[in-house]
Amino acid sequence: MSERVVVLEISGLEALHLAGIVGQFRDLLADSRAGEDPAVERLLPDAYPDDAAASREFRRLTGGDLLERRSQDVATVLHTLGLDGADLDPESDPDATIAVALGETEALAWMRTLSALRLVMATRLGIQNDDDHDPEDPRYGVYDWIGYRLDGLVATLDRA
Amino acid sequence: MAGVASPDLDLDVDLETDLTAAPPASWQTVVWNDPVNLMSYVTHIFRTYFGYDAATANRLMLAVHHDGHAVVARGPREVMEAHVQAMHDFGLWATVRKDPA
Repeated sequence: MSERVVVLEISGLEALHLAGIVGQFRDLLADSRAGEDPAVERLLPDAYPDDAAASREFRRLTGGDLLERRSQDVATVLHTLGLDGADLDPESDPDATIAVALGETEALAWMRTLSALRLVMATRLGIQNDDDHDPEDPRYGVYDWIGYRLDGLVATLDRA
Repeated sequence: MAGVASPDLDLDVDLETDLTAAPPASWQTVVWNDPVNLMSYVTHIFRTYFGYDAATANRLMLAVHHDGHAVVARGPREVMEAHVQAMHDFGLWATVRKDPA
């Protein structure tokens, strides 16, 4: 599974921003109160919308594994960014392009993580409809940027 | 993944007559529209996870987008629950329901 199927090209500055956001997501997942956070609840939706007991049981049996896989995905993203723990070299040019090579499983981890970041941000921003958008709010800029990167990754995988 | 569904046993059922009854109820995996997930991403998952061809995956994605939801799989409850868990892994809003047909 380590064959390289995709190469992402992003700037050092982007990589740093992304690592920061992914790190916040990692901290959110690690928080013991995560289960009460609406953003985390969105990651664990009701499997049985008309049956609260069945939904609870489903979440009890699958929720822990799901959040564990999220954490593994996050670790994979940070690792492939080359930013797990280490800071970017302060001498490096922030506009220089970094090539991130991803195997199939790593690309899946990236896709799931970028999608999860958008779900978490959408919960924080209160996005409920397709046209909920505020160009004045810089958080939407980050939200759109992550969507752009996710769309690009999907397009690359579709061509692979 | 096994063991997620609780056994749906009716101990009062007469086994002899039950054998002639309808086949086991079918269940559905339903994916619901949300304003966050990208159309390209949803199509990609339908294609790669379920193995649908590009046209079918795109049609199902458009059904989710325009009709609010789409049935993406039918079968035994345990299998549908495994699909829903996988959809949740991808961040899609998916549910299990008994086939109303």
